[in-house]
Amino acid sequence: MVRKILVVDDEVGFTKLLKMNLEKTGQYEVRVENESTKALTTAHEFLPDIVLLDIVMPGMDGGDVAAQMQDDPMLRNIPVIMMTALVSQEETSQDAVAQAGAMNILPKPVNLEVLLRCLEEAFASEAGE
Amino acid sequence: MEKNEFQQQGGEEWKRAGRQSNIDQHSSGVAYLETVIDNLPVGLFAKDASDSFRFVLWNKKQEEITSIPCEQALGKNDYELFSPDSAKYFRQVDELVIARKRKFEVSEEIIDTPESGEVWLHTIKVPIDDVEGQRTLVVGISEDITEQVHAREQLAALNENLTEANQQLQVTQMQLIQAEKMESVGRLAAGVAHEVKNPLALLLLGVEYLSGGIDPCDPNVEDILTEMREAVERADKIIRGLVDFSSQRQLAMELTQLPDLIEHSLLLVRHELKKGNVEVDACYEEGLPDLQIDCAKFEQVLVNLLINAVHAMEDRVKPKIEIQVSAAKLEGIERDEGLRTAHHLRNGDDVVLLKLKDNGGGISDENLQKIFDPFFTTKATGIGTGLGLPVVRKIVELHNGWIDVKNRLLGGVQITITLKVPKSEAERIDM
Repeated sequence: MVRKILVVDDEVGFTKLLKMNLEKTGQYEVRVENESTKALTTAHEFLPDIVLLDIVMPGMDGGDVAAQMQDDPMLRNIPVIMMTALVSQEETSQDAVAQAGAMNILPKPVNLEVLLRCLEEAFASEAGE
Repeated sequence: MEKNEFQQQGGEEWKRAGRQSNIDQHSSGVAYLETVIDNLPVGLFAKDASDSFRFVLWNKKQEEITSIPCEQALGKNDYELFSPDSAKYFRQVDELVIARKRKFEVSEEIIDTPESGEVWLHTIKVPIDDVEGQRTLVVGISEDITEQVHAREQLAALNENLTEANQQLQVTQMQLIQAEKMESVGRLAAGVAHEVKNPLALLLLGVEYLSGGIDPCDPNVEDILTEMREAVERADKIIRGLVDFSSQRQLAMELTQLPDLIEHSLLLVRHELKKGNVEVDACYEEGLPDLQIDCAKFEQVLVNLLINAVHAMEDRVKPKIEIQVSAAKLEGIERDEGLRTAHHLRNGDDVVLLKLKDNGGGISDENLQKIFDPFFTTKATGIGTGLGLPVVRKIVELHNGWIDVKNRLLGGVQITITLKVPKSEAERIDM
């Protein structure tokens, strides 16, 4: 079963390569949204199984996107994994992640192996619920 | 006797001068002249050029200056009274005076005296023909200028101290600029790390993709390689920018296009701009002249002002920075606008104007007076040191420029930096 992943990140090159890598596994269909303000619309349209969300983005940051997803009955239950290239502890603390309703946080550069494992765990826990 | 003969010879002169005063009418010739000569406030002496330059006149002041009594001096020559070096010099001047038959002025000479040590003299020597005595005299007047010379030396020493202190001040200023810059580097570091991590993340994904084995028919491969190359260049550019920025150098001016420097600085603060969701609208006039700029130091100015602007707009819904660079002819400068301005910028000068506007809350009138005061800050302790703007102004002044900060009518702050176009560039534009 092919799972649908929505990647929201303003880094065009990074998202392009992330999509290539994930789709290469044959297990995922990936949609990229480089403009965070359009993230919710795209999410409604695409209805992903999981969202990969960057934190620092112009317009709306990852925290805002996650919070709006929480307020949206259609999107509330979609698991979110956050990604960040931030280095300071406070900005990447687990509290902040929990506050944003995200289930995990991955530091950039993202290790593909770790990301794939993270995705598997997410789907496994979802299946287990 | 020699003394009297001389006085008679020159007597006509002094008598004539003396007749103008009342005392003269009651004085008798020679005794009166002796009194006058001895009471002169300058040393007076005469040597007989026809008799090995032996002294024939030596007044009281001359006794005082040289610590040599008259009786001891008369009939002797310089070699018998002074050190060989001094005597040789005096003799050379005497011979010159005789040979040229005219006045000779020695503005400063030193004699060694047993009582007062080194004495500085200002001496004028004239040749006088003694017709009756059939001889030529060298008559000299010496003024003791030891005190003036010492005062001048002290002044020179003070001046040297002052120069040294001034140099020390300049060094300290450079250190202050550098210290403030390192603080900026600290503030920028997190942002720069973020900007570098993104290309790294891309690179890692590229490596992951390609390490699975390269399929020659896979159209992604070329795309991935291009992206990876660009990522390396991007990371390199950002890191190099930070290294250039943090390097300490003496003021190193080079001809530079201001817009290039602005774009560099925007790259350094890209993360802060993105985080603050700040829109940047930069507008550069075409064909701007090159300016003499120390790039690293001026980037410090720009980074400082940009970060200030971002902070000032934190609570704005649509934060926006507008940057305009244009060439202009300076006008409307008041003469009293400030000594520094008056020194470097004049009406009619070709200048480049840099305007940086934000739409933040502006600065209260009270604070506007203080923003350039060292250590004045409205930020919390530990966040702002209050050195940013004073250093900004110092750097602008080092560029002979002028910085002006004012509130915009519709909110926010406008900063204008005026930089003079170097002469050769100005001529190039006029052509």
